Amino acid sequence: MDEQAGREKREPRGIAGELIIPVAALALTVYYFITIIDVPWTAQVSAFFVGTILILLLLIFFIRTALSLGRGEVSLRIGEIVEPVLFVPRRIVLIVLTIGYVLFIQWAGFTITTFAFLLLAMLLLNEGRNKRLIFILSAVFAIGGWLLFIVAFETRFPAGPFEQLMKGLF
Amino acid sequence: MDFSLGLFAEQFARTFTYWYVIVPSILLGLIVGAIPGFSAANTIIILLPLTLALDPETGMVFMVALYASSRLGAGIPAILVNIPGTAGAAATPLDGYPMTKQGRGQQALTISFVCSTLGGLLTTIIALLAMPWLSVVAYKLHSVEMIVVMIFGISLIASIAARDTLKGLIAGFFGLMIGFIGADVVYETPRGTFGFLELYDRVPLIPALVGLFAISEAFIVIEGESILTKQGLEAMKKATAGWKETFEGVHLALSRWWHIVWTSIIGLVVGIIPGAGAAIAAFVAYQQSRIFSKTPEKYGTGHIEGLIAPESANNGVTSGTLIPLLVIGVPGGATAAIMAVVLQYHGVTVGPDLFLTQPNLAYGPFTTMAVTYGMMLLIILPMARYMSRITIVPTTFMAPIVISFTLVGSFVPREYIFDMYLALVFGVIGYVARKTGYHVAAILIGVILGPLLEQYFQRALRIAEGDLMVIFSSTLGNILWVFMVMSLAFPYVMAWWRRRQKESPG
Repeated sequence: MDEQAGREKREPRGIAGELIIPVAALALTVYYFITIIDVPWTAQVSAFFVGTILILLLLIFFIRTALSLGRGEVSLRIGEIVEPVLFVPRRIVLIVLTIGYVLFIQWAGFTITTFAFLLLAMLLLNEGRNKRLIFILSAVFAIGGWLLFIVAFETRFPAGPFEQLMKGLF
Repeated sequence: MDFSLGLFAEQFARTFTYWYVIVPSILLGLIVGAIPGFSAANTIIILLPLTLALDPETGMVFMVALYASSRLGAGIPAILVNIPGTAGAAATPLDGYPMTKQGRGQQALTISFVCSTLGGLLTTIIALLAMPWLSVVAYKLHSVEMIVVMIFGISLIASIAARDTLKGLIAGFFGLMIGFIGADVVYETPRGTFGFLELYDRVPLIPALVGLFAISEAFIVIEGESILTKQGLEAMKKATAGWKETFEGVHLALSRWWHIVWTSIIGLVVGIIPGAGAAIAAFVAYQQSRIFSKTPEKYGTGHIEGLIAPESANNGVTSGTLIPLLVIGVPGGATAAIMAVVLQYHGVTVGPDLFLTQPNLAYGPFTTMAVTYGMMLLIILPMARYMSRITIVPTTFMAPIVISFTLVGSFVPREYIFDMYLALVFGVIGYVARKTGYHVAAILIGVILGPLLEQYFQRALRIAEGDLMVIFSSTLGNILWVFMVMSLAFPYVMAWWRRRQKESPG
């Protein structure tokens, strides 16, 4: 048991996740440089200044990481990004629901889409418990949001059948 | 711009007669400030038909009261759910949110309210007294100095926000590169836009704010039953919504009155610099507070001074931004710019002449701000004990509500569905950044400063006919460069010094 705990203790920290932001930063900088090659110098200079500093910083970071890898202090395991693994499926479904929310809101409007999203997302996160409370909460927030933002503040939220119907009625 | 005590007294008395405008504006401002995407600037724009229908003085009272209260309101979600209402409150969760997680949400809110109102009140009075002299600071800062101020800002955030300065710098400069995306101001050449027309006008700030803070946080909080730690949850469940925590918060804040004073003055000075804004002020104040602290290691863990500094500073900014607007006619920020538009609509020309021709309009915004801060303290303190209860709402209910309302909030400023997708992209960046130790605030500040930095860079280089060494051509700028290097090196030097002290025998 102790031996196993010791092994776990000695296991190097996974740092693959830590490389995502630097790699994204490098990709953006290189892409940005490509898009400004043919533009006048005034449109290039600040990006070249900041981009060069960023590349230098990234270089230092990559060298530091390589040295740590060489010393065996870290490994290329994904690590903290997906931890705790237990929540991965839940998180994936929530992401799909969120993308669906953005996708449907332009057709179904704020009130209906918000109600559907809240209902499904809360049911998912509560693993099907408290159905009645979730239904009431979803309705209250969707209609409350419509009343506060669209009716009272006249904010231009995405409009759909519900908003159009209410506008026609009142 | 001479003024007398009599004029002051008259102006204050006059402002009190507008209580019927100030009180509803405070309540509205607190609500809109607390909702990401609904800043004071947006609300004034939404309510423009109302603002324009009022006479200029009443309109100004309404706008100023709304502005000041929304600044305070932005700190509420930052403390309770780690979602700043505006970019100006981006430094507030650094210590405010850990306090909430420890079950000290009510105390944190009270401290925030006390230092926000006192900081705002103090700086408003200083601004009122020292307006002619403070405006000189703005005159001294030209393009070169502004470049240094901005890079200084990023480096400060890097050393504040992240435990690893290198990661902090990468996050800040990554944010700057994102901020550069968009069409060039002079030639309208698209740069780094990935072919999206919606990005020609630069990366909109609200989706960036919503994604980096709200969406990413929502995907992380679902890991727990509540946003509180286990001990924090127990403490909150046992606690009754009483006055004890509020009084404790008031006492804790007042016992650090000197901290409130100097960090709010930082806010005032930064606020005078056009374009610098509350976000920079809050981070500069936080960094300075940590540098001079005897316990810098406690910052980021729910340290009271770490909450006082940004909240005092970002409220100190409110009066600062009005100074260049009223004294030289240059708005210090978005809300001040909208105020200028409203005043121009009424035929009022802002600038030095205003103090002679219409002193009520020139000094009025400051007296209104002072009265607003005074009234706000009385209105909001009793609310702290109820507001903090929001933290015991299970994350399984809170996360979907946060996602839907903030996502749709990112749609509001430009009415593009694209901006909601953009918020999602920033949500992913924010999630990865949070999970891997890159502070999201550093990325956000980079996005905010990117366009401004480019603007000043282009101006400086055009004046210097393309000579890059222009960035070292100003004495004030060079002093600021030295400060920046010192600021980056100081924590390392201090750590080395402490290590040496420990190691030395005896």
